[in-house]
Amino acid sequence: MRDVAIVGMGCTKFKARWVDKTYYELAFDAAKMALEDAGVDKDRIDCAVYGIYNDFFQRQYQPDAFVHDYLGLGLKPMVRVNSGGATGGAALRIGYAEVASGLYDICLVLGVEKCADCYNYEVAMATPEVLRAILYTADMTYDNPAGRTAASGFALAVVAHREKYGNPTDEQMAKVSVKNHFNATKNPVAQSPKIITVEDVLNSRMIVEPFRFYDNCLYTEGAAAVILASKKVAHEITDNPVWIGGLGASVDYVMPGNRPNIYTYESSRVAARKAYEMAGITNPLKELDLAELHDAFTGTEIMAYEDCFFCEEGRGGDLIDEGAVMPGGEIPVNLSGGLIGCGHAVGATGIMQTFEIATHLRGQAGERQAPNARRGLVQSIGGTLCTWTVCLVLEN
Amino acid sequence: MDEKEREAWYQFHHRKYGIPSDHLRREFEAELSGQNPVDAPLEVPDKMEILFKYSYGQQSRFFRELRENKAIYGARCNECGKVYCPPRSHCNDCYQPTEWVRLEGTGVIRACTVQHYTTSAFIKKLPFICAYVQLDGTDFLLMTNMEVEDVRKIAVGTRVKAVFREERHGSITDFYFKPIE
Ligand SMILES: [Zn+2]
Repeated sequence: MRDVAIVGMGCTKFKARWVDKTYYELAFDAAKMALEDAGVDKDRIDCAVYGIYNDFFQRQYQPDAFVHDYLGLGLKPMVRVNSGGATGGAALRIGYAEVASGLYDICLVLGVEKCADCYNYEVAMATPEVLRAILYTADMTYDNPAGRTAASGFALAVVAHREKYGNPTDEQMAKVSVKNHFNATKNPVAQSPKIITVEDVLNSRMIVEPFRFYDNCLYTEGAAAVILASKKVAHEITDNPVWIGGLGASVDYVMPGNRPNIYTYESSRVAARKAYEMAGITNPLKELDLAELHDAFTGTEIMAYEDCFFCEEGRGGDLIDEGAVMPGGEIPVNLSGGLIGCGHAVGATGIMQTFEIATHLRGQAGERQAPNARRGLVQSIGGTLCTWTVCLVLEN
Repeated sequence: MDEKEREAWYQFHHRKYGIPSDHLRREFEAELSGQNPVDAPLEVPDKMEILFKYSYGQQSRFFRELRENKAIYGARCNECGKVYCPPRSHCNDCYQPTEWVRLEGTGVIRACTVQHYTTSAFIKKLPFICAYVQLDGTDFLLMTNMEVEDVRKIAVGTRVKAVFREERHGSITDFYFKPIE
């Protein structure tokens, strides 16, 4: 396999709604930024991978074909990836394979999502209709009729973890929310920069127990893109490549009833282990300088500390209590603000996380720059109780 | 658009999408009465809808038994003996065929939470329990929702039994669980 580098990248602002852009117009903006960042013309792109999650969100089946057309990449090969919340990470994995295999030298990996065109006229809000669109990804015969949401699936796992290990507590989860909203105040593309307190989180309304309003990420519209290149081409294009040093992926049983337990996310553990093996990491807490973990919910971020082996199983709550995951801590987590602070534009999220880590590795993160950042982890998860996980180790 | 044209617009979209006219008026009156600049983003309603007549395939008997006999069936692997509910024609471990076994309809809650917010389709049922139930005699979990008077009475370990609805359609919602007193 050939070494693969990120040689260009771009990310639109993450917003609750981009009323003045369609999904392919957002995709265009991210692609243009990434091409300008790499300093290459679009004709140099050999192939593309599009991460787009929900066809209802885009109000379009096969939206990838229309993105490809709008970007002017006609006659080049492309493929669309859809792996739930892990769509962005999964798209990066396929883009990596396209280049590492030697099939292509330069690959555009682009994620885009536009959810808030779904609209519930009765309550005059997008969210319940967005959730209805997502419910079509639950098993249509057995699970869809139960009216569960993505939040209730993840909540069941957090409840199970809490019953086994006594954490994450409400306070620990609230601290994660405070941290991620704060981190977002330093990130110019973030949707929800906010200075809030633990009490604000604990006093916010219950959504799905134990998640309160501020424990949840928000739905976001936006696009993010990276340009991947083989080693030889990367050195021609840029002086500051960011390398994909490790990559791991795993897909668990989507029907959680078929799993031996639900108090850990096994796909995350397998994916992280594989990524570390490939990158030669044996002590992630010491050998990683920062991480972007998929905090769709505060409780899942705490479980991710364990699933990415930053601590022993059952001790995730300690990491937020001790401050290890805070800015300036041993392993700052979600300096972008994560999904809670920066936003969750589903197909674009894993690519936004990658954009964030690469920005730090390039030393371009400004006020939120992690000092001496040499190596970072991206964890991209999705599906019912974390069906999909893709982990990437990025290095400079 | 003048008032008559706007009214026709509301009626047309109400008929086409089933959106109440007053909701349409609330959302689109500013636009249709010319208050938005010509270059401002233009929003319009839409709906995606497909009708089906689909088959349950090898799971057909499960749903016919629910509808006709108020009975819940599992599927037992001929090789390893594991009992699946939801049922399946072949074990996903041994790849051998399963056979039907009638279940008691009693079980235990293995995981549960309370939903205080949900999708458009379920919003009127809030709050309700979202749970995984393991039916007695099976090795797997079934996702369910429970509408109960006191959500605090439902926890991991709570024994439950299936209750069949009077009107059954041959779907998983032909029964629901309630706690065994
Ligand atoms: Zn078997």
